Amino acid sequence: MILPDFSGYLIILERIFAFVGTGLYLIFAIVIVKQVSMMTKNVNDKFNGMVIFFSYIHLALAVFLMLMSIIWP
Amino acid sequence: MTRAKDLDTVAPDDVITGTNPSVLVETKTSPLDRGEEKPIVKLPNNQKNRSKTPKDVVDENMAAFRQKVYDVLGKTSHPLSSFLVKPSVFKFREQDDLEEIILVMRPHWFTNVSWILTAIFMLFVPTIARFLPVWSGVPLMYQMLGILFWYMITLAFVLENFLSWYFDVYIITDERVVDIEFKNLLDKKFAEAKITMIQDVSSRVAGISQTMLNYGDVRIQTAAEIPEICFEKVPNPDKVIKVLQMMRQEEEQEAIDGRVR
Repeated sequence: MILPDFSGYLIILERIFAFVGTGLYLIFAIVIVKQVSMMTKNVNDKFNGMVIFFSYIHLALAVFLMLMSIIWP
Repeated sequence: MTRAKDLDTVAPDDVITGTNPSVLVETKTSPLDRGEEKPIVKLPNNQKNRSKTPKDVVDENMAAFRQKVYDVLGKTSHPLSSFLVKPSVFKFREQDDLEEIILVMRPHWFTNVSWILTAIFMLFVPTIARFLPVWSGVPLMYQMLGILFWYMITLAFVLENFLSWYFDVYIITDERVVDIEFKNLLDKKFAEAKITMIQDVSSRVAGISQTMLNYGDVRIQTAAEIPEICFEKVPNPDKVIKVLQMMRQEEEQEAIDGRVR
C-alpha cells in the first residue's frame, strides 16, 4: 500500500502557522511601541530615549520577520 | 505738634503719652491741603538694617529640615538605581510646578534576576533543539525562520519585563506619594495620596533575599479615596518609613505656619 504524500500540505500548514505567528507578534510589537510612548509621557526619566529607540527597533524586527514569512518560498 | 496716626479712637482732650516712635508722623497741617507728598514714617534704627524677615527664618528652618530628610536617604549610586534620591531629570505628568521630588523608587534589582536567568536560558533553546529528532524533519528555511522567531520572542520577553520594572515607579514628593504601575504591557495603574492624608505606614521584609538585601513592601494606609498604597519590593523600607514620618511632620508644621499649597 502506498501512503499519500502529505509533505505539500505540511508546507502549507507551516506557512500559515508562520504567517499567523508573525502577524500576532507584529500586533504585540505595535502595542509595545504605543505603551512605551504613552508611559514615557507619564514618566520622564533619563533612559526614556533609549527605551523608545529599542521599542522601535523591536517593531522593525517584527515587520522584517513578517515579510520573511511571506516572501520565503 | 506730634499727633498719633489713628485719631479715630482718641478723644480731643486725651493726652497722648508713651506712643511708639515708629508710628509717629510729623505734620503741621494736612499734607493733602498743602499738596505735599505722603508723610515720612520714622522707623527705629534696629528695623532699618534688618537682614532676616520671619519668613526667611521659616524658610531656613524648612531647608534645614529638608536637608535632614536627604541625610536620612543618602545618595543615589547610579541613574538606573532602584532608589533615586532627589533625581535631577525625573518628572511625571501630574507633577505640579512647585512640587519637589524627594525620592523615586523602583522594585529592587534582585527582583529582575529570575527573568534575566530565564532569558539567558531561552537564548540557548535553539541550540538544544538541534539535538531533537523532530527538528531534523523541518525544512531548513523554516528552521531559520523558527530560530529567528524564537529570538524575537526572547527579545519581547526581555523588553516586556524590563519595561514592567522601569515604569513601575513609586514617588515621594514634598506634597504626596504616587504609585505608577505598568504590568504586562496592558495593565497600567496610577494612584496618589496627599502626605497629609497618610494615616499609618508599615513595612514587611520577608524571606532570605529580602532580609539579606534589605528590601520589602511598604504599605501606606490613607484617609483618601484609595485606602492603601503599596510600594512593592522597594529598597531600604526602613528609610522610606522614616522619610514619610518626617514629611508628615513637615506638612503639619506647614499647616500650623499657614503655608499649605
